[in-house]
Amino acid sequence: MKKSHIIAIIIIAVAIGAILTTVGDSSTYASFAVAAENSGKEYHVVGKLEKDSALIYNPQENVNLFTFYLKDTDGAVKKVLYHGTKPQDFERSEQVVLVGKMKEDGFQANTILMKCPSKYNEGKPEETEHKAQI
Amino acid sequence: MDITYVGEHLWAGNTGNFFIVLSFCGALLSALSYFIFTQNEIQNTSWKSLGRAGFFIHASGVLGIIGTLFYMLLNHFFEYHYVWQHSNTEMPMRYILSCFWEGQEGSFLLWTFWHMVLGFILIFTAKNWEGPVMAVVALVQIFLASMLLGVYVFGYKIGSNPFLLLRDVPDFANLPFLQNENYLAKLDGRGLNPLLQNYWMTIHPPTLFLGFASTLVPFAYAIAGLWKKDFNGWMKPALPWTFFGVMILGTGILMGGAWAYEALSFGGFWAWDPVENASLVPWLTFVGAAHVMVIHRNKGQSLLVTFVLTIITFILILYSTFLTRSGILGDSSVHAFTDLGMSGQLLVYLLTFLLLGIVLIAINWKHFPKPETEESVWSREFWMFVGAMVLSVSAFQIIFTTSIPVINKIFSSNIAPPTNPIQHYNSFQVWVAVIVALLIGVGQYFKFKKTEMNVFLKTIAVSFFGAIVITGLLTIILDLLSVQQIPYIILLFSSVFAIVANASYFISILKGKVKLSGASVAHVGFGMILLGSLISMSKSEVISRNTSGVDLQKLGEDFPNAENIMLVKNDTLSMGGWFVTYNGKKKEGVNIFYEIDYFSKDENGKYVKDFTLNPRVQINPRMGNVAEPATKHYLGKDIYTHVTYAELDEEKEKKPEEFKKARTVTLAPGDTVFGSNSIIIFEGLDKNVDKTKYNLGEKDIAVAAQMRVVDIKNNSFTARPVYSIQSVYAVPFADEISELGLKFIITKLIPESGKVELEVYEKNSNLKEFIILKAIVFPGINILWAGCLIMVIGTVLAIRHRLKQSN
Repeated sequence: MKKSHIIAIIIIAVAIGAILTTVGDSSTYASFAVAAENSGKEYHVVGKLEKDSALIYNPQENVNLFTFYLKDTDGAVKKVLYHGTKPQDFERSEQVVLVGKMKEDGFQANTILMKCPSKYNEGKPEETEHKAQI
Repeated sequence: MDITYVGEHLWAGNTGNFFIVLSFCGALLSALSYFIFTQNEIQNTSWKSLGRAGFFIHASGVLGIIGTLFYMLLNHFFEYHYVWQHSNTEMPMRYILSCFWEGQEGSFLLWTFWHMVLGFILIFTAKNWEGPVMAVVALVQIFLASMLLGVYVFGYKIGSNPFLLLRDVPDFANLPFLQNENYLAKLDGRGLNPLLQNYWMTIHPPTLFLGFASTLVPFAYAIAGLWKKDFNGWMKPALPWTFFGVMILGTGILMGGAWAYEALSFGGFWAWDPVENASLVPWLTFVGAAHVMVIHRNKGQSLLVTFVLTIITFILILYSTFLTRSGILGDSSVHAFTDLGMSGQLLVYLLTFLLLGIVLIAINWKHFPKPETEESVWSREFWMFVGAMVLSVSAFQIIFTTSIPVINKIFSSNIAPPTNPIQHYNSFQVWVAVIVALLIGVGQYFKFKKTEMNVFLKTIAVSFFGAIVITGLLTIILDLLSVQQIPYIILLFSSVFAIVANASYFISILKGKVKLSGASVAHVGFGMILLGSLISMSKSEVISRNTSGVDLQKLGEDFPNAENIMLVKNDTLSMGGWFVTYNGKKKEGVNIFYEIDYFSKDENGKYVKDFTLNPRVQINPRMGNVAEPATKHYLGKDIYTHVTYAELDEEKEKKPEEFKKARTVTLAPGDTVFGSNSIIIFEGLDKNVDKTKYNLGEKDIAVAAQMRVVDIKNNSFTARPVYSIQSVYAVPFADEISELGLKFIITKLIPESGKVELEVYEKNSNLKEFIILKAIVFPGINILWAGCLIMVIGTVLAIRHRLKQSN
């Protein structure tokens, strides 16, 4: 067997390994209901901020806790706890993507990605996001 | 009814459109002529001249477009959508370049411009290769020029035109203000996004796009080599270009990293963001291509791999353009462009060149010269080849994960990117870095063809043991001694080894001959980049841990990283060995600067001010408010400081006498709560209320809550808020302590337990201004930046050496 073949085989093996780790590490876009069924697992939940419900951020009491309510794509509304500071301009967000897992007291988000509408584009959301991460 | 608009400069758009058509037709003419010239292989120079003429026409068109657009931006022709969208009258002129390439059309123009410049250099330097190489370059330019056409062919829009009038843009056409013939008089542009108003936006895009553009030259040479069936000759002129591209693209990428680190709130210089990945991946394959070219020049092996890597690099540049501009990354990236409806066109572009490469390789594969002997395992080329393959695998892993949104689109699947991308990429790429660094260390000690083992071992032993000693010391200094850190210790060793081995190669074997030292110097730089990123990433420490006395236990075990600290104005808190004070803020334009002093204690216990940082928050209606960090640079470490939250509500400052509800509390007799300037004690309920004072009837029920409030100077105050029931209605009566700016209102009584539910109000002037801060110490990050510089120097030396060889 030629050395180049051995190298080729090793490369293919590592590449397959890379695909498998990606599949293994990847998450799923899910609704709150699915996240609640597997409460230990991390999911991406897409939804809209419930602007009428309470947005609670009391830095005097806890700098690192921000709670709000999110309506997922199935229409279910759940309380979300984000252990970080409240992202700037969060009220204006059009669409929110949460990464985290469901717990008894609500969805525990560790990352918030939000999309804001532009003031100029007549309500067309601008494709920029704010990434807030702990 | 047609409106005759006042004050529009329609000639500008017409001029611009003329130049667009000119550049497109010039490229078309040039590509065709060069193609015919190359195909016919006759020494008929008239086709060549026509090809050149076409390219000159194309170039004047491109320069004309750029000139017109600049003229329009400088003179504020807001009747044009691009000018309106990216500039305004208030903007400082120094950002005019940033406005130019903020939009997609402008950035395509920048890219086209660099291709054009490189094309010119090729016309004068490519000699025999001019025909086929320029045919490829001109073909690429046809596609790029078409990106600006903005015409509809069979209902499909080709390109997006930067000279479109605002009133011709479908989203605006029917807006009422455009029905006014004099609309221009009042119109100001939307302006450049304030986030992009910094010098990085001036230097990063042109560098990065020059890097993108420079991948075209080796690609064109490779296609030319396949086309003319000269499988080896093309590499000689292509090699210096490849090194040049590696250097510029690498610099562009690192500038992006530096921008993210200095001015954006990524909290590091590399976040494995899809857009960052999209430009890193072609760099990795480009570096691979450069190395296999060197192998081939010396030994005539790995021809197929050389072709594949050179071609795929350019294809990956196109793919990264597709990823960032098609809007497909929408959900996963922080800074993707908006979709301009050109994703289909970009895809056609991508597939055309991919197909061209595949077909040409497939046709010629049988004719590739086959080396008679296999390379020896103990030869430099063998290990360089392995290195190039490792880089390719690394590129594959990154691009595969980054492409998850594309995979979702193709297979209509619903996979989300990894929840922890940094960990995902690092766990794979750490090992890539280890192997690459080890190869870099040993590589040059192998000779081309065959190496004498005992000589090899003898020369490398010094570096090897030297690296072990240094690694041991660093491990102790950096406190990396634990099982979890083993991958990092291994990477630490291999990057130190890469640095030491290359430095000692330079000194002891090259005897300091600068001319030949390109590879050694560049490799020392690369080793330092790895070392710097390893130290700064693994040992970066968030110092803004909570020291403000707030209980963090309730956050739960999943969230141990509570990394923000609250700083009340004029208070001093201890933070990571410093004492920090927030002194106040000042507003300048769109920015609010927060002044934060860092103190330390000297031997006598006195506070000494070390430095002041001014992180800012930018009020940004377009993108949402953005916090920009400030960083104190020391030689050994950086202190990064970032305002993660600040009250931007100005109402509070304007009305200091107004009460604001601070909290609702339920208290049993004897309970205490903290006010912002006092301790509030609920002493109990008192039924002895003077009813006449509150205009209550005899039958009404009234209860007072006896509140005692002690301020910080230990002065005691009392308040008696009253809760009454008049027939069936509950009516509370508030009570205030004006000295302390406190007000209490009872909202509920719980008679069984004697508890009371109270609302506590405080005056706005009581609530001191505060900010929430995140501070991170990055040690050793200067090793990384120094490494970048050294790598660039090394690459320049290598280019010089190769240029001398090829002449």
